Amino acid sequence: MRERSYVVWLLLIALLLLLVINPLARLLWASFQHPETGAFTLENYVAAYGRWRHVEALVNSLVIGVAVALLCTVFGVPMAWAVSRTDMPAKGLVWAAVLGTFIMPNYLGAVAWILMAGPNAGWLNRIYTTLTAAEAGPFNVYSKAGLVLVIACYSFPYMFVFTRSALDLISSEMEDAASTLGAGALRTTLRVTLPLALPAILGAFIVEFLEAIALFGTPALIALPARFQVMTTMLWQMFEFPPRVQVAAAYAMPLLLVTVFLFWLQYRIMARKGYVALTGKGGDRRLVRLGPWRWVLLGYCLLVTSLSFFMPILVVLQAAFARAWGRGFSWDNVTTRNLRFVLLEQTATRAATLNTFVYAAAASVIALVLALAIAYIVARRLVPLGRALTYVAMAPFVIPGIVLAIGFYAAYTARPLVLYGTAWILILAFATRFLPIAYTNSDAALRSINPELEDAARILGAGRLLSLRRIVAPLLRRGLAGAFILVFIPATRELSSAIFLYTTGTQVLSVLLFDKSDEGNFEVLSSMGLILVVVTVALVLVGFRMVGRDFLLRRTAT
Amino acid sequence: MTTTRTIVAALAVAALGLAGSAAVAHAFEREAALHEAAKKEKEFTWYTAHYNSETAAALCQGFEKKYPGVKCNYIRTTAQVAYQRLAQDQKAGIAQCSVISSTDQSHYTRMKQDGWLQPYKPKNLPELVEAFRSFNDPDGLFTATAAGLVLITYNTSVVSPAEAPKKWSDLTDPRWKNKVSIGHPGFSGYVGTWVVQMKKLYGWDYFKKLEQNKPRIGRSINDTVTMLNAKESIVAAGPSATTLESKAKGNPLAVVYPEDGAVLMVSASGIVKNAPAPNAAKLFMEYLLSREGNEVMVQQHQDPVNKSVKPMAGGKSIAEVKTIRPTAAEIEKGIPEVKELFRETFGI
Repeated sequence: MRERSYVVWLLLIALLLLLVINPLARLLWASFQHPETGAFTLENYVAAYGRWRHVEALVNSLVIGVAVALLCTVFGVPMAWAVSRTDMPAKGLVWAAVLGTFIMPNYLGAVAWILMAGPNAGWLNRIYTTLTAAEAGPFNVYSKAGLVLVIACYSFPYMFVFTRSALDLISSEMEDAASTLGAGALRTTLRVTLPLALPAILGAFIVEFLEAIALFGTPALIALPARFQVMTTMLWQMFEFPPRVQVAAAYAMPLLLVTVFLFWLQYRIMARKGYVALTGKGGDRRLVRLGPWRWVLLGYCLLVTSLSFFMPILVVLQAAFARAWGRGFSWDNVTTRNLRFVLLEQTATRAATLNTFVYAAAASVIALVLALAIAYIVARRLVPLGRALTYVAMAPFVIPGIVLAIGFYAAYTARPLVLYGTAWILILAFATRFLPIAYTNSDAALRSINPELEDAARILGAGRLLSLRRIVAPLLRRGLAGAFILVFIPATRELSSAIFLYTTGTQVLSVLLFDKSDEGNFEVLSSMGLILVVVTVALVLVGFRMVGRDFLLRRTAT
Repeated sequence: MTTTRTIVAALAVAALGLAGSAAVAHAFEREAALHEAAKKEKEFTWYTAHYNSETAAALCQGFEKKYPGVKCNYIRTTAQVAYQRLAQDQKAGIAQCSVISSTDQSHYTRMKQDGWLQPYKPKNLPELVEAFRSFNDPDGLFTATAAGLVLITYNTSVVSPAEAPKKWSDLTDPRWKNKVSIGHPGFSGYVGTWVVQMKKLYGWDYFKKLEQNKPRIGRSINDTVTMLNAKESIVAAGPSATTLESKAKGNPLAVVYPEDGAVLMVSASGIVKNAPAPNAAKLFMEYLLSREGNEVMVQQHQDPVNKSVKPMAGGKSIAEVKTIRPTAAEIEKGIPEVKELFRETFGI
């Protein structure tokens, strides 16, 4: 029994190495390679970090990353708590808006935000000047604060979902214990409920941070006109003609150290306390009664989702159905021509739509199976040095998509494994890119299951694999459905790795959208964005149906 | 006045139309044989940065209509990405792309050096506007197939034609403070060429003054169209084709042909040496220079390169406009230099 499970673990670790270590090793190697001669050199590091401008961009990225992660916590945690643990009304609406936010590609949201908070003509500023008769409005999307807000708007759903699934698993018994000892609802929440969700919140915090510093689309649209650089826009410059791949590789390397540090930190914080809360069936969950405060909380949720979803989608809808979006709202400006063009005339869109969803689904399955296995190996200490696997699984997140794509390209265009030109290179790149999300989620889900449940099964004679299948898998089902959606959605809108790996016949929507973003044709861009959003929403809803309504609305136990 | 001009224009079109149809009747030498050879190859792939994807799609459709049995696949990206992809293919020894169309002149010099292109002198070459012929490679490795202008653009709902800037130096006028939009030479070949030309005309001081106006800097030159439509900026150094296309949809935009000269961009295409479909590629090069191909370009608000095809109403023909342009050598040497200067002056 023991041997059989060992083979499975080793195979999965081998796959992990193939997906993560091989491309990263190629990059590491490239970072020490002389561009012409291929000899060992440190010149690339000098070129990458020898200029203040380059270092400054990196500092900007780190500052923005921390600010985004904090803002996401402020946005996401109260909303997750409200939806999971309180009697706040209109939870379905809030959840739907968070889902819509998550599905919206960040570059589409960024364009919408430019229209809303442009300093000269943004709608919000125009409304403000009309109301107050002031000279100029206070909003300026072209600033570091603006960039932080826009990135946070499109990444806080990670925080929301991670926190919410953790809160969903905490039984009210813990809270009851606190109230029995005389704690009020607020105190119970702050001292008992939220701390129990801390592993998930910390995991999400790291994911938000890494997502923010690896993002390319939004900074390209906002940081450049605001006159500052971040790491990814700097990297893009390194791929300009003549491309300096080796310097780019060197520039990206120290980020790995940052990741390692973050996870070490998380480990230290968590190691001191026990967070095991799910100890089997039962554990009833009751909602906290908020009284009038529930309306305040609803107001907050709607405010956040207005920033992230309702207002931007209005802008996108206006443009998608406009003859000329520069003319603003008027009935004679309405047309379905753009949508018809995108759906019927442009054959590329249809093929790309199909590719987008097929690749995203395949990548999600691969990432999830792998992540779960690794998380399990680490959590149950099945192999020596298991903790190192955590770093490996999380590493792809700090590698900006563009660089990951180059690594993939370097690794899989030559024998023995030629994948370039096939759909597989995209699928595997997506799987690798979102492995950290799958991993963080699987890890959080696993941590909340007391190993004693399995131990019981094993004492009764079940093997490792059997107890996995019969005990762990059923307990994780809901968490995994959530993780699947969390990988699937970003995979449908993944741009930066796709752009260097697609070929004729394997185009995806994000690439078509990005090409549109610098063509000045916002009507067609919005139409394609709208199609991506609508189809994804439909698929996700179908997915929820298949998993069971549980996942969407009911907060009762597994 | 307007009527006279219309009549003259109509007559000119009619006269050229006659001349043009004579040319079509003669199709080029060995056209049928090339078509047959291309049919055997079934399809070809075209990496292009010359136009937006609508135009690339329309050209492919037009080509397939004219030469049935040969499928045209396009991959439309920015110039840097197109080059990067081809470089990936070449290094991996993958034969994917048959025709490459970049807007960055230095790419062609480099591709020629690296031996990535194969020579072909299109039979339709006599159809090419004379002024563009100097951009062809003497060895036939690449041929001019697209042209466009960088000119002054503005939003008509905020700026009247009388107020609009008339020449490039007007953009540094303090009344456009916070209201000017430009692209970035690090992203766009069009912007790079424009910056080189402005430096040639007015020295780097031009950009130091422009910096005082705090321009909004996008990536592509087409980003200026978005900025103008959003009214975030109201005047810009923008592209002819995309601006006119957006205007034709009803957006409140207009173009000014600057008194000191619209910056002319001529871009070449070439056939890749390891092209999987060399005959289809040759046929396509012919098509890009042909009347039919250029009529499709004009419908998409592009400037034609075939001398007998007139631009669409609303835009002027490049021949009527005062154009300026740095030489190939100036561009090649100048773009890396101005990118660096630009970053120092504008901080990005």
